[in-house]
Amino acid sequence: MRRGLLTRGAPDRESTGLRTGRAARTGQYLALLAYLVFLAFPFVWLISTAFKPARELGSLHPTWIPENPTLDNFRQAFDEQPLLQAAGNSLVAAVSAALIAVVIATPMAYVMARHRGRLATAATGWVVVSQAFPFVLVIIPLFLILKNLHLINTLWGLILVYVVWSLPFALWMLAGYVRAVPTELEEAAAVDGAGRFRTLVSVVAPLLAPGIVATALFAFITAWNEFFFALVLLKTPEKQTLPVVLTHFLGAEGVADLGPLAAAAFLATLPSLVLFAFIQRRITGGMTAGAVKH
Amino acid sequence: MRATVRRAATAVTVLALLLTGCSGGDDGRDADGTIRLRFQSLAWQKESVDANKQLVKEWNAAHPDVQVEYVQGSWDSVHDQLLTSFEGGEAPDVIHDASDDLADFAYGGYLADLRPLLPERLKADIPEQSWRTTTFGEGVHGVPFLQEPRVLIANTKLLKASGARTPTPERPWSWEEFRQVTKELTGQGRYGIAWPLKEPVSVSLNLGLSGGGRLFHRDGDGKAVLRFEPGDGVVTGTIHDQVNTDRSAARSALGMGGSDALPGFFGGRYAMLPLGFSYRQQIIQQAPEGFEWTVLPMPAGAGGAVQGVSPQTLSVAEESPHQKEAVAFIDFLLRPANMVRLARGDWMLPTGTEALADPSLRVAEHGWAVGAALAEGLRPAPAQSVRGYPEWKDKVATPAYQEFYSGAIGADELSNRLVEDGNRVLARYQR
Repeated sequence: MRRGLLTRGAPDRESTGLRTGRAARTGQYLALLAYLVFLAFPFVWLISTAFKPARELGSLHPTWIPENPTLDNFRQAFDEQPLLQAAGNSLVAAVSAALIAVVIATPMAYVMARHRGRLATAATGWVVVSQAFPFVLVIIPLFLILKNLHLINTLWGLILVYVVWSLPFALWMLAGYVRAVPTELEEAAAVDGAGRFRTLVSVVAPLLAPGIVATALFAFITAWNEFFFALVLLKTPEKQTLPVVLTHFLGAEGVADLGPLAAAAFLATLPSLVLFAFIQRRITGGMTAGAVKH
Repeated sequence: MRATVRRAATAVTVLALLLTGCSGGDDGRDADGTIRLRFQSLAWQKESVDANKQLVKEWNAAHPDVQVEYVQGSWDSVHDQLLTSFEGGEAPDVIHDASDDLADFAYGGYLADLRPLLPERLKADIPEQSWRTTTFGEGVHGVPFLQEPRVLIANTKLLKASGARTPTPERPWSWEEFRQVTKELTGQGRYGIAWPLKEPVSVSLNLGLSGGGRLFHRDGDGKAVLRFEPGDGVVTGTIHDQVNTDRSAARSALGMGGSDALPGFFGGRYAMLPLGFSYRQQIIQQAPEGFEWTVLPMPAGAGGAVQGVSPQTLSVAEESPHQKEAVAFIDFLLRPANMVRLARGDWMLPTGTEALADPSLRVAEHGWAVGAALAEGLRPAPAQSVRGYPEWKDKVATPAYQEFYSGAIGADELSNRLVEDGNRVLARYQR
């Protein structure tokens, strides 16, 4: 009897457990879907707006897909503002800042992660504190320093600022990647006769590659999207970056030339998207490869 | 190791000093003596940018010894950008801004006092009430040149169908009449009006003048003080009652900006919209085929057909070594014919009397004539020269007006908060 009860009860509990598991999983997927919609909505709307003619922008019942799609907004955006020139400036600033930040941050991060001591603790503290300063607090002293160095209105001045601004977080991020590389690997290399430099180049660096790429991507996107420093430090129109030029589609009291603004903003997001699309898989792949080996 | 660090630090310091030492006496002149001026313009609509650039080109062609460089600024960030430029000694020579943004810069000594520099023609051409918008303390720190009244943009068919009297600049609606008309226009899923009050303070204060309100007063020793008098409640009370009592104004529009409300207007959901005069350009671009609209004056009350404005301005940086040339350039930009070009480019009204009389600004099409007729009722926005106004606006007035219009608080609470909390803020700035 007892056995019968048990045998009857077991599948019930199992099926209840399965049902609960399935319900939880469905809930998780729904939550994920809602989050994806939340993230994607502004971007999809931006694309939709970029292809709508002016009359559709004023429609009481807006549609997701433009009824009469047009490229006029793109034409107008290119016509009115030097978008290509600005994109070129942004690209130079962002790529340079990302490369320099990574070159500086990688050895620093290694030291921070591997050599525990007062310096590493102080550096970690500096990284945390530096994130607390708002732009407005540093901009005037920074402006004066760059002015004395004759770096106002130069892309090099801007790149310098971007490097300094992204360095603390890049350092923090890379130090985490370095810590994830087992020290045993370095010890094994040392046992095999590799010197410190050889160990770093042949053993540590390849394992750090995904981290370096992720950090570079972070520095690139920070610099690519940055607005305030570029606004303040660059004076002549030929040197302005894309985020600054985008504000030229905005008038007083929040009035905007919506179609061209959406078109230009859509184009401005493309490089980040493309970079992510190409690099994301490699970052994930690299990490997974490391995990499996480990 | 320490020696290496020390050497590197020394090298960096020397490099910095060398670079610093390179700075010469830059007085904005080329080697051949040509004066270079930088003109930062906030023009943003294509027609307006084109007009500004064309005028700069004409000036440069006629004045080879004083060349102007056009620099594009942005309304969105002009205050922070100018503040940093002033502090860093890199400000443009000629600065385009709005009068309600100038107080801090004028009192801070960043903008030149233009009184000794302005030519008589320009002084005489712009009316006294416009000059008051750029007068801070004893000095005149900008030339007001473009302004826009708030107007009612109405759906012509709906207005005609209601049988309401069409107001004119000479015979505007009273606030009571306006309230009645919006009630009549309401029904069948439609509101008589939508008040896009994302920025409720400037609308309330500027239109409040027509109800006889001022809110900001000067006491015996010249200090600004807030008092809520019956006239201050006319416009605010009308809006509140339209939203909460008559239901003739759309509650959902209260948090909108002007552009956000346009689709509802085109779709027949709102019969009228109170908007700045320059919104006409956006309406022309976006209105559906065959949509008929008309420009009407805002209602008038005990204060008359008046309203406050903060004109666009041209100022000269105090640090500019070529203030005389900068003012000469401003004088050129604001010659009557040029002022008309700038006004048409921005869909606004010129402040200059001669430009305002131009036939192209007196045509009925697109409501130009109605706007031009309203120009004489434009007054300086009530609080723009009061120190502490920005803080009062952000921390006290904006939430208080928003809560009042949405019906969350009553008129007494509104008045208490605006005045009592407000005077505490002002007192800190006027010690």
